[in-house]
Amino acid sequence: MATFSGFILAVGFLGLAHAGYSAAQHRTYLRLTEQEFTRLPIDIVCQGLVSLLITIYGVLNIAGQFRGIKAMADMEKKSFDTVGNRPSFFMFRHRGQAMFGLNPTGNKNVETLEPAT
Amino acid sequence: MAAAISWEDARDQLKKWREESARRSAETLELGEFVLTNHRGLGDEVWAVHEQVCIAALDVGDIAEASSAIDALKAQFPQSKRVKRLQGMKLEAQGRFDDAKLVYEELLKEDSSNAMIRKRLVAIFKAQDRIPDAIKELMKYLESFMADHEAWLELSELYIQEQHYSKAAFCLEELIMSNPHNHLFHQKYAEIRYTQGGTESMEIARKYFAQAVKLNSNNIRALYGLFLAATHLASSQKGTAKSKKDNIRYAAWASQQLQHRYRLAERKESEPQVQHLEKMIDSLQITAS
Repeated sequence: MATFSGFILAVGFLGLAHAGYSAAQHRTYLRLTEQEFTRLPIDIVCQGLVSLLITIYGVLNIAGQFRGIKAMADMEKKSFDTVGNRPSFFMFRHRGQAMFGLNPTGNKNVETLEPAT
Repeated sequence: MAAAISWEDARDQLKKWREESARRSAETLELGEFVLTNHRGLGDEVWAVHEQVCIAALDVGDIAEASSAIDALKAQFPQSKRVKRLQGMKLEAQGRFDDAKLVYEELLKEDSSNAMIRKRLVAIFKAQDRIPDAIKELMKYLESFMADHEAWLELSELYIQEQHYSKAAFCLEELIMSNPHNHLFHQKYAEIRYTQGGTESMEIARKYFAQAVKLNSNNIRALYGLFLAATHLASSQKGTAKSKKDNIRYAAWASQQLQHRYRLAERKESEPQVQHLEKMIDSLQITAS
């Protein structure tokens, strides 16, 4: 599939390049025959459009599968443990003081804090 | 812990905790003291770290550390209301609620629209166990600041403490309306409805658990909720045969999803947990019927 869409893409690009070259060629021809430029011949315009569509198709196929856009991708990893925290409403009358603060040994280290036996 | 990690890691960790407002005060204090030993490296971030350390210190009751943080901030910002708020919070942590209140009221006289200070008044009521007063104060606050998510969440929590579940559910409805993609609000709303009980609430709970799972398929808590709510509905007396059949299907799906998640997690761990989970799900079914 990948090689096929690669081929499609190559065809599209070649078509586009050829359309561009033809347009340049047409302008040169007009200048040589001293005619006024009005518009590009219809076949060059058609070739450009068709090649563009082919290129789009090829790019879409070669770029791989689309992925869904998630509205709240950053919320995915969060849990209520942190989202449920309301720092403006913290109050300090809780076991924290008994566990860490007013302890006479004054040991603030978390790791050495063993549960009382 | 502080000795084992580098200074940069400690700084980043503190920043992460500050941004997601994690309440890991003992660790924050320890890391903060370590980070502040090299305060030149922090640049302007140093003041944010001081504030973070101050609140963490108050949380663990380390008044001395909090005071030194406040002094450092006060030297830099002598007129700041945010620093004065910290001083008020220190009074709160010392249990001097009336003094703290005086500080806050003084600040509110200058600027009555200071949201941070008005929230502290609610916190004082909460600390004094005057939940109805806290609710009243918070409702007054919400009349002027209706878009404040944190405050709505707080109000719902206060209502839950008072067991006014329908009012708590209303607060969560507000949050869901302003934040429809947040799976956690759906989950919380479903939990409140589940707690309320009754067939109607239970059905709403099931739907919102399902929505939470839809928004984030890794939300294990919502999967458990979906399973429990569906099981409850399937085994209740009321309800048509069709709804019961549907609910059995939902419960089966949820338990299957749970097993799948545990199996995925099991690959990373050595201990087999799926067996325990299967047993537990069986036991949950028995108690529910």
